[in-house]
Amino acid sequence: MRNSHDTSGSTIQARRDFLGKLLGAWSVLVVAPIAKVVLDYVTPLKGPDTSKETIRVASVEDLAPNTAKVFKVNKEPVIVVHTQSGQYKAFSARCTHLGCIVKYNTEEGPPHFSCNCHGSQFDINGKNFDGPAPRPLNPFRVMLKDSSIFVSKT
Amino acid sequence: MQMDPATENRVARWLDERLPMSGVISFFSKKTVPRHKHSFWYYFGGLTLFFFIIQVVTGILLALYYKPSPEQAYESVQRIVDEVPYGWLVRSIHSWTANLMIGSLFIHMFSAFLMKAYRKPRELMWISGLLLLFLVLGFCFTGYLLPWDTIAYFATLIGTEVPRTVPIVGDWGVSLLKGGEEIGAETLSRMYAIHITILPLITLVIVGFHLLMNQVFGSSVPMGVEEKMPPLPFFPNFLYRDLIAWTVGFTCLIALATLIPWGLGEKADPLASAPIGIKPEWYFLPLYQTLRMTPASVFGLNGELMVNGLVGIASVLWLCIPFLDRNSSKEKESKLFTVLGVVLICYLVVTIVLAYTT
Repeated sequence: MRNSHDTSGSTIQARRDFLGKLLGAWSVLVVAPIAKVVLDYVTPLKGPDTSKETIRVASVEDLAPNTAKVFKVNKEPVIVVHTQSGQYKAFSARCTHLGCIVKYNTEEGPPHFSCNCHGSQFDINGKNFDGPAPRPLNPFRVMLKDSSIFVSKT
Repeated sequence: MQMDPATENRVARWLDERLPMSGVISFFSKKTVPRHKHSFWYYFGGLTLFFFIIQVVTGILLALYYKPSPEQAYESVQRIVDEVPYGWLVRSIHSWTANLMIGSLFIHMFSAFLMKAYRKPRELMWISGLLLLFLVLGFCFTGYLLPWDTIAYFATLIGTEVPRTVPIVGDWGVSLLKGGEEIGAETLSRMYAIHITILPLITLVIVGFHLLMNQVFGSSVPMGVEEKMPPLPFFPNFLYRDLIAWTVGFTCLIALATLIPWGLGEKADPLASAPIGIKPEWYFLPLYQTLRMTPASVFGLNGELMVNGLVGIASVLWLCIPFLDRNSSKEKESKLFTVLGVVLICYLVVTIVLAYTT
């Protein structure tokens, strides 16, 4: 009578192959959810979207003609300019190249924005005209109300 | 008090029965170092390891006082420098060693490249060595933000924006590095955690592997170079010579750390524009200068994306050098790769000089 535990070499090999594949599948099943948990854990949390809110940044007296200041508007640094002609303009202060804060430059040529990191330059309307910046500064909307300056995303 | 030989033997036997290390010791004691006209370059591997050990020790000491939050980071470094006994020295050594370690690592890498030490059977040594270079650059990048001064802030701001140009996963990669949309408390925590836990653990494993490979295959003798003398036993002959190199390295380090103590700039102001003439550390200057020289658009392609893409491709090719240089693996001359190495060294030197002078 054949013992139920007797198996030929090929059967043992087939069983080992099957168990090997089973172990592979088991590893994927275990690793995949762990990887998902770790990835979700390290991905930063998103707070409530406040980017459309209108924020009061300063009073008009704070910004003399031909000067600019950087304010934080919903986590975004925004440069607000009071131009020589009396207009108010606002742009994201992040250089569109690698994110450095741009400055209002009145020393070299007509007033413009420049970035000290890699030399990008933007005209008074935020348009890039020199250096590695690939696109204009992101514009923001400026409103004046009761001697205050309000800024919001366009 | 000196132990008599009989007792010493008994202790050694007792220990060997419980911790059988004689096989391991005999394996390590067989290590030899070839002697030829280019043997001098072998010292830079050991010197890099020596600098790494200094980084571990000084890093642990700094971690005792450092506080990783935007409100306290700068002040805690200031306290280390101004109040903690020898704190200024420990910090200065840590910062200077980072630079010397990279310098030594570059020399080690290029000497290995020019001596074609990557050829069969040392391909994995080359790959592990290059991974260590990337890890060390990672150490420098993540450690740079920790003092939370102006230059640290802007260097990290720029560095973390670089992956943004990568298609599909770029934005996610940037937010993963920053821990959000801006450089802040989350960024500092992440950089600190990566700097003191993740990178050291990976580095220890790869350093161990690199040294094991070195033990198994020994140091490579350049093709066509004659060994006029028998190889030098590593224990203790070469180790004594290594110690001399380490002493020279340590002397240079202490001279730099004390005569030119590493400074601490103004506290970072996230709303201020970057200071004029801001530049990264010298080892990131080739990338900085290349980005600076590349126009915003090249043949309709985003210039920055192109530079980052090319650097990525070049890094992968550099990693695969042992498999690309087929001639060397067959112990045949490969002038093309020698020229390639020399061109790369010239490019790195010229871009560093240009970045400092223009």
